[in-house]
Amino acid sequence: VYTALLIVHGLLAVALLGGLTHQAFATLWPARQSGGFVSAYRSVSAARFTNVNITLYVVTFALGSYIYPAYRIAVRTWIENARLWQISGLFEMKEQSLAIGLGMLPFFWLVWKGQEGQQEGASSERAQMDDGPALRHRLVQFSGRPHRQ
Amino acid sequence: MCGACMASEPRANERYVMSITKVFGIFAAVFAVAYTIAFEWHWELFSYHPRLGEFGWGQQASRGGPVMHWYGCLATAFFVAAAVSLATLPFLRKRCVPLWIGWAVPLLCIFAWFWFLRAFFIR
Repeated sequence: VYTALLIVHGLLAVALLGGLTHQAFATLWPARQSGGFVSAYRSVSAARFTNVNITLYVVTFALGSYIYPAYRIAVRTWIENARLWQISGLFEMKEQSLAIGLGMLPFFWLVWKGQEGQQEGASSERAQMDDGPALRHRLVQFSGRPHRQ
Repeated sequence: MCGACMASEPRANERYVMSITKVFGIFAAVFAVAYTIAFEWHWELFSYHPRLGEFGWGQQASRGGPVMHWYGCLATAFFVAAAVSLATLPFLRKRCVPLWIGWAVPLLCIFAWFWFLRAFFIR
């Protein structure tokens, strides 16, 4: 059972990686037309990946948390006995980074919600609630490039 | 200037939503710092003994198998971040939270973790 869950965990992680890179490329290197493969990859609406990415993050995290005890007993003990410190360290890095990332999810949603309001010409009421202009301004600063209207 | 400042006057329910969303940056920052401190100083809320399938409050000694502190550190970080976020909520009605707090502080914590874990790579 744990092997199957580990495979699902890995597949979800790959899907999350795809969603995040889509979002990152569409933000930092946007394309107006989807001519080739790379342009098509960049021409997506980045903000629309927000909820999917958050959901994938939470589900992947939850699944990883569920199978973690099995890893702790069977795998990590073996890794430590084999003195494979770098492999153990890489897992530790991943573990701590993901934990910190979990706390950032509401903020991630907030920032992208403002961006989405701008991209899709949301109503003024929605724009007020999401503080779109200021957030967009910040995102432009983050990305270091002019924002498309 | 921050993301939660606005020009026109919002309705009451909008103000509430805005105040809630304002603390998301603070939550992210405090969660990262609290998690890092909880892990380094062993302030986990509970520990888990995976071989026995048992939980215990706070930091627990080994009972013939590995002890997992990660879940407890996550719980500590969540409660601390939630408490601080709720405590700051009344002060944010007319104040702004710089957006950089929400990403710069967690990023610094991740760099701190690289430093803490360096021993795994320089043995």
